[in-house]
Amino acid sequence: MAARPVDDTDGAHQNPVFFPQPLTVIRTVTSTGARISTQIKAEEMTFDEFLKATNTKVMSEEECLRTQMKEEQPRELGVARVKEEPDMDFLSKGSENKPEVSNNTLALVPLERVKGKSFQEWLWLRYNSSVKSRGEYSISQEKEAGPKDLENGQSLNESSPKVKVKEEPYLGSEDKVDKVQVKEGSPNESRPKGEVKEVPDLRAENEVHVKEGLPNDSRTKVELTEEPDLGPDNKLHVKEELPIESTPEVKVIKESDLWYENRVYVKGPVGAENKVSAKEPIGSNFCSKPQKVKKEIVEERVVSGLVEDGDFPEDPEWFLVGRTIVTALSTSKGRKLVDNEVVHFAFSSTNWRHNAQWIVRFSTKRSGEIGRLPMEWGKCVVPLVNSSKVKVLGRCVAAPSNLSIMQEIMLCVSFYIHHSIFTKDDASSWRLDAPYNIDSTLHPLLSLFKLLKIKPYLKAEFTPEELHSRKRVLNLDDDSEEAASMLPIVKRRKGCQQYPEQSKDEQALSESSVNKLVGAAEMYNLEEMEPPYTLMCDLRPYQKQALYWMSELEKGIHAEKAAKTLHPCWAAYQISDERASSIYVNTFSGESTTKFPTATQMARGGILADAMGLGKTVMTIALILARPGRGCHVNHECSTATADGTEITKSNKDCHVKTSSKANGGTLIVCPMALLGQWKDELETHSKPESISIFVHYGGSRASPKVIAEHNVVLTTYGVLTAAYKNDSENSIFHRVSWYRVVLDEAHTIKSWKTQGAQAAFSLSSHCRWCLTGTPIQNNLEDLYSLLCFLHVEPWCNWAWWNKLIQKPYENGDPRGMKLIKAILRPLMLRRTKESKDKEGRPILVLPPTDIQIIECEQSEAEHDFYDALFKRSKVQFDQFVAQGKVLHNYANILELLLRLRQCCNHPFLVMSRADSQKYTDLSKLARRFLETNSNSTTTKQTVPTHAYVEEVVEGIRRGENTECPICLEYADDPVLTPCAHKMCRECLLSSWRTPTSGLCPICRQLLKKTDLIACPSENQFWVDVEKNWKESSKVSGLLECLESIQRTGSGEKSIVFSQWTSFFDLLEIPLKRRGIGFLRFDGKLVQKQREWVLKEFSETKEKMVLLMSLRAGGVGLNLTAASNVFLMDPWWNPAVEEQAIMRIHRIGQKRTVRVRRFIVKDTVEERMQQVQARKQSMIAGALTDQEVRTARLEELKMLFR
Amino acid sequence: MANSNLPRRIIKETQRLLSEPAPGISASPSEDNMRYFNVMILGPAQSPYEGGVFKLELFLSEEYPMAAPKVRFLTKIYHPNIDKLGRICLDILKDKWSPALQIRTVLLSIQALLSAPNPDDPLSENIAKHWKTNETEAVETAKEWTRLYATGA
Repeated sequence: MAARPVDDTDGAHQNPVFFPQPLTVIRTVTSTGARISTQIKAEEMTFDEFLKATNTKVMSEEECLRTQMKEEQPRELGVARVKEEPDMDFLSKGSENKPEVSNNTLALVPLERVKGKSFQEWLWLRYNSSVKSRGEYSISQEKEAGPKDLENGQSLNESSPKVKVKEEPYLGSEDKVDKVQVKEGSPNESRPKGEVKEVPDLRAENEVHVKEGLPNDSRTKVELTEEPDLGPDNKLHVKEELPIESTPEVKVIKESDLWYENRVYVKGPVGAENKVSAKEPIGSNFCSKPQKVKKEIVEERVVSGLVEDGDFPEDPEWFLVGRTIVTALSTSKGRKLVDNEVVHFAFSSTNWRHNAQWIVRFSTKRSGEIGRLPMEWGKCVVPLVNSSKVKVLGRCVAAPSNLSIMQEIMLCVSFYIHHSIFTKDDASSWRLDAPYNIDSTLHPLLSLFKLLKIKPYLKAEFTPEELHSRKRVLNLDDDSEEAASMLPIVKRRKGCQQYPEQSKDEQALSESSVNKLVGAAEMYNLEEMEPPYTLMCDLRPYQKQALYWMSELEKGIHAEKAAKTLHPCWAAYQISDERASSIYVNTFSGESTTKFPTATQMARGGILADAMGLGKTVMTIALILARPGRGCHVNHECSTATADGTEITKSNKDCHVKTSSKANGGTLIVCPMALLGQWKDELETHSKPESISIFVHYGGSRASPKVIAEHNVVLTTYGVLTAAYKNDSENSIFHRVSWYRVVLDEAHTIKSWKTQGAQAAFSLSSHCRWCLTGTPIQNNLEDLYSLLCFLHVEPWCNWAWWNKLIQKPYENGDPRGMKLIKAILRPLMLRRTKESKDKEGRPILVLPPTDIQIIECEQSEAEHDFYDALFKRSKVQFDQFVAQGKVLHNYANILELLLRLRQCCNHPFLVMSRADSQKYTDLSKLARRFLETNSNSTTTKQTVPTHAYVEEVVEGIRRGENTECPICLEYADDPVLTPCAHKMCRECLLSSWRTPTSGLCPICRQLLKKTDLIACPSENQFWVDVEKNWKESSKVSGLLECLESIQRTGSGEKSIVFSQWTSFFDLLEIPLKRRGIGFLRFDGKLVQKQREWVLKEFSETKEKMVLLMSLRAGGVGLNLTAASNVFLMDPWWNPAVEEQAIMRIHRIGQKRTVRVRRFIVKDTVEERMQQVQARKQSMIAGALTDQEVRTARLEELKMLFR
Repeated sequence: MANSNLPRRIIKETQRLLSEPAPGISASPSEDNMRYFNVMILGPAQSPYEGGVFKLELFLSEEYPMAAPKVRFLTKIYHPNIDKLGRICLDILKDKWSPALQIRTVLLSIQALLSAPNPDDPLSENIAKHWKTNETEAVETAKEWTRLYATGA
C-alpha cells in the first residue's frame, strides 16, 4: 500500500485526549513508542540496515565455515566426535541384512573399535568385503589394505590438478610407479574382456572379475581400446600425460577408471599397493616388486595407526546413484588420513543455525573429525540424507600427509538411494527433502544429479535453465510492444491511490488491461460441440466452441498420447545402479517419483475468461451436463505442487492416502454469495428436470460429505468454503469429498493466494478445475498466480518460479515476464469478448446493437449563473492551493470542490443541500432546534448535547467545515445531522442500522428515527425547500423528456437511470412522482433481500418502467436485460465504469436495441472531465514515472479548473 | 497489493495507528493479511498488570466496521473479564459495538479494562470469585501472572 498522506490531513490529529499524560504513563509510552518505532522501521529498512540494527553479522559461506570450525574444534576429540553423530542411516540400513559374522573375522577386530555402533559398522564392512573377496583372498590377508583395495581402486574416479601439485613430494615414488607400470601392459592383452560391461556400477563389474578370476584391469582396457594411444608405452604416457589427463572435471565413471589408475601411481604407495594386490591373481611374476611397496606401506601404517579402509559392499537395499571425487576441506590439524581410508559423514539434522545446517563433517574411525564437505555438496546432501532415503559413503582419495586446517582433501563419495522408493506399491511422488525455502528454486536431488554429472536421459521439455537463458521459444507473436504498454499501469497505480474516489475505478481499468495482456483472441478456430439433450436452452456457436474447448481440456488434449508423454516439467534420470528404475524429477518443484509422470497429470481445466455477458454460466452448465463424472483420479492428486511447498505437499500425500475413504462427488461450484441464487435458478431452468440434483450448501445446513457428494452439483460460497477450511482444514466437508470438477465462479475472489480462502480452494481435491472470471487480473499479475495455483498448473503454481520468472521481471519492467505469462495462458484460457469474431469473421455474439449518444444539455441562464458563481469560488480556492504549491496535499479538498461542481451540473439543489425545510436554513435556528428538541425531550435517558457542543457544531457548519464521517472516515458526502448533533454520511448511518427507519446513533447510542435526521447544511447560503421550490435542471428536463417519449411509444421499454449520487435520486423522485412515472430504486441502502425483490419487481412489473440505480450499489453479475434504455446522468472519472454499467443491460438475453444516453452539460467541468478521460487513456499507454504521474495529475486538475 | 480490496476505512485506521500510536498500545497489521493485527498493550500503571506487555490479536471481519473487530489476548492474563483462551468480556466488542468505534478506541477500552477489572460482569467465573472474595490476593495473583507471562522476552 502506498502511503497516502493526502486525505489524512483531516481528523488524524483529533484525539487530544491522549496527549496529556501523567509522568508514569509517559515512561511507558516511551518504551512502547520505541517498540513501535522499531516495528515501523523494520518495514522501511533495507536488509543491511536491518541487520545492523539487530546486530547481526552477515557471513559469507566461507566465513561461516571458518567460524563453525573454530566453534567445533573443542569437540574434535577423536572417537567421541564420531560417536556423537553416528551415521545412523548407514548403520540401521546396513545392519538389517547383515548375516552372521564368522568368528575368525571377529577375532581380527581391534579392541579399540569394539565400541558401540562404530564397531558394528566396521564389522559389517569387514564382513561384506570378506564375503566378496572370498575365494581369491584369504581372510588373513585382510589385515590391511589387501584385496579390498581392488575395489577401492575402482571406486575412485578422478583426480584434480591441484592434487598433483600438492602431491609433488610423492612423486619421489615414481620409480615404483614405473615398475608397476610395466605390469599394466599385461592386462592389456586380454582386451576382449573389455566388452564385459558398460554398466556404471563398479562393484557389480568387479564381482564379475573376481568370479572369473580376471584382472580387474579389464576395464582399463576398455579405456585403452577407446584411446589406443594409451596402449603399450605406458611408462611414457603416464609420466608425460598425467597432468593433462587429469582434468578437474569429473568424468563419467567408465572413462575415469583409467585416470584413476594413473593417478594412483602418482599418488603414492597405497595406490600402488592396491594395484599390486589386484594383480596378484594374474601373474605371479610381478609379485616381487610389489612386495617392496607393501613393506613401505606397512611401515607407514604402523605410524598412522589402524586405518579403516574396507570397501563398501553392494547392499541390496541401497542403489548406487553415482560416485565422484569431492574436494573437501580439512578442519583439523595434525590428523592423519591415508588414501582409501573410509570417512564417515555426519549430518546435522536440526536447523539450529542458518548456515550450520548445511555442514557435512567427515571423520575417520581412528582420528575423529577430519574436515567437511564443500557447502554446495552439503546443501544438496543434507536434505537428502535427512529424508533417510539417501546415504552417502566416502573414502579418502588423496590427502596431504600432514593435515592442517583448510587443506584440500580429495574424497571419493558414493551416493546411494534406498530401494524402497523404487518398490513402493503406490509410486506416488515424494520429495527427498523438506522444501526449506519457498523462494528457493534449488532442489537437492537435482543439484546432486548435476554435481554428479548425471544427465537426464529424457530431458524435461520445459526446464528452468531454458527459462533462465530465455532461450525457450514461446510461440509468441512479437507482441513485446503490447506487453510493454502494460507495464506502466503498475507504476501508475501507486500514484493513483491518492484519489479517494478512484480506487474503485482502478479495478475497472484492468478490464482493458486484461484484453491487452492475454489478448482476447480475435478469432478462435475451435470445433463446436453439440450440447447434451439435457440442456434446455440453445447454445450459440461460440458457446458450443467453449463447450468443446472445455471438454477437450477436461479429457486432456491427447488423452492417449499424453499417457505416453513425459510431463513437460519432469526429467527422467537413470542412476548408476542398473537395478534401479528411472527416477523422474520435477525440474521446477524438485518433487521426484519413480512413476512415469505423464502429461495426463497436467492441469485438467482452465480459465474461462470470456468477457461479461457472454454466458459463462450457461457454458459451464452445459459442460456439467455433457460430462458428468464422479470422484477424482488418484495420480492427479499427487502430481500437484502448490505454492506453499511444505504444508501442501504433505497434505497432498495425506489426501492421497485418504482418497479411498473420500466420497466421490460431482461438481462443486463456489461463487460469491450474491450469485448463489442465480446459479441455482439457472441450473434449474437450463437443465432437463430430474436430470441433475442440486444441493446448496450455505451456512447452517449440517450435511455430511457423503450427503453432499451424492448430488450432481453442489453450490456453495467462498465464505462457507473458507470457514469450513478454517475450522477443519483438510477435514472440512468440502475437502473430504473427492470432486470430479470444481468450478470457481468469479474466480478472482481468490486472487490473494496467501489468504485462507485461496488456500481452501487450492487444497480441494478434484479431477478437473475451472475458473470462471471476466477479470482474471484485477489489480496485479499476482492475481493470476492464484488462479494458476488453483488449477495446479506446473511449474507456475510454484511461487519461487513464478516470482523469479514472471512476477519480478514484470515488476521490473522486463517485458519477458509478460511474454511468458501470455505463453502460459494461451492454452489454458479461453477469452472472447463481444467483439470476437468467428471463423467467417462474424462477431461471435450478435447482440442487438447499442446506440450510444451524448446528450449535451444547455444550462438555463439561472442555472448557468449559479454554476458560474460556484465555479469562480472553487477556482479561487484552487488557485490558492496552486499558489501555495499545495495542490498535491489538498486532493481531498480539491476533489470536494470538483464534486460540488459536478453535482451542480446535475442539479443546483444538490449543492444547495436539500434542506428538509426552510426553517433550518438559518444556522442559529438550527442550533435552537437542537437545544429545543432536547429540553423538550421526555426521555431523560437521551444524552443532551451541551450548549457549547452545539455551538461548536453550528459554528463549524457556518465556517463550511466538512468534517470526517466517523464511520467511513471520509469527508461526508451527503452528511446528515442527528438530533444529538452528530454529523455523518447519510449512507453510513443508515447502513449501520438494522432497520431502515430507525437505529442508534453510532456516537452516543441514542435512538434515532430516519425522520429526525437533518440534511446537514453546507457552507453555502442557498437554502431551498426542494419540494416547494422544485425546479427542473436542464439535465433533469432532458431525462424526463426521454422517459416520457419512451412511455408515449407504448413499446413497454424499460429504462435504467444511473447516477453516482443517491441524493440526486432523491431529487429525481419529485418530478417522477409528479409526472406519474412509476419507478423503483436500487441503491446501497437496500439489504440483500430488498435488492433481489427490486430486481425481480423491475423485470416483471408493467407499472414501474424506470429503475434508479446507484452505480456504487451495483453488484457483480447483475442481469438487467429487462431494460433497454440506459441513462448515464453524470460522467465517471473512468469510462470503464460506465462501460460496466452498460454491460449489465447489453448482454445475452437482451432483445432490443440498447439505447445509451450520456448526459453532459456543455461548458462545464463535465465537458472537461471527458478530456481528462481521454488523457487518462494516453497515460495508461505511456510509460510515466511516479513523478510524471504526479505532474500529470496536477495538469489534469488545472485543466478542470481552466 | 494482496489486500487491495481493503476498505478505505481500514487503510486509514491502519495508517493512523502506525503514525500516531496510542500511548501504551501498538498495533500493526500482519503482512499477508491487512485485516489481522498484532497488538501489544502495556499493562497500565497502578494496575496489577503494570510492567507487563500483553500480546493480543485483532481481526477485522468482512463486516467491519458494521461489526466489531475480533480481539483476543494471546498472553496469559489473570483478569476477571478475560478467560483462559484470552477472550474478552467487553460490551463494545459485543452488543454495544458501534461503527463509530475504531481499532484505537477498542484497544484503549481494553487497556482501560485492565485498569478497572469488573468482577461483576465476569467471563472467568473463578477469577471473578477470587476477585470478589479476596481482592488483595487476586491482585497478587494477577501481578504474579504478569511477571510470569507478560514480562521478559
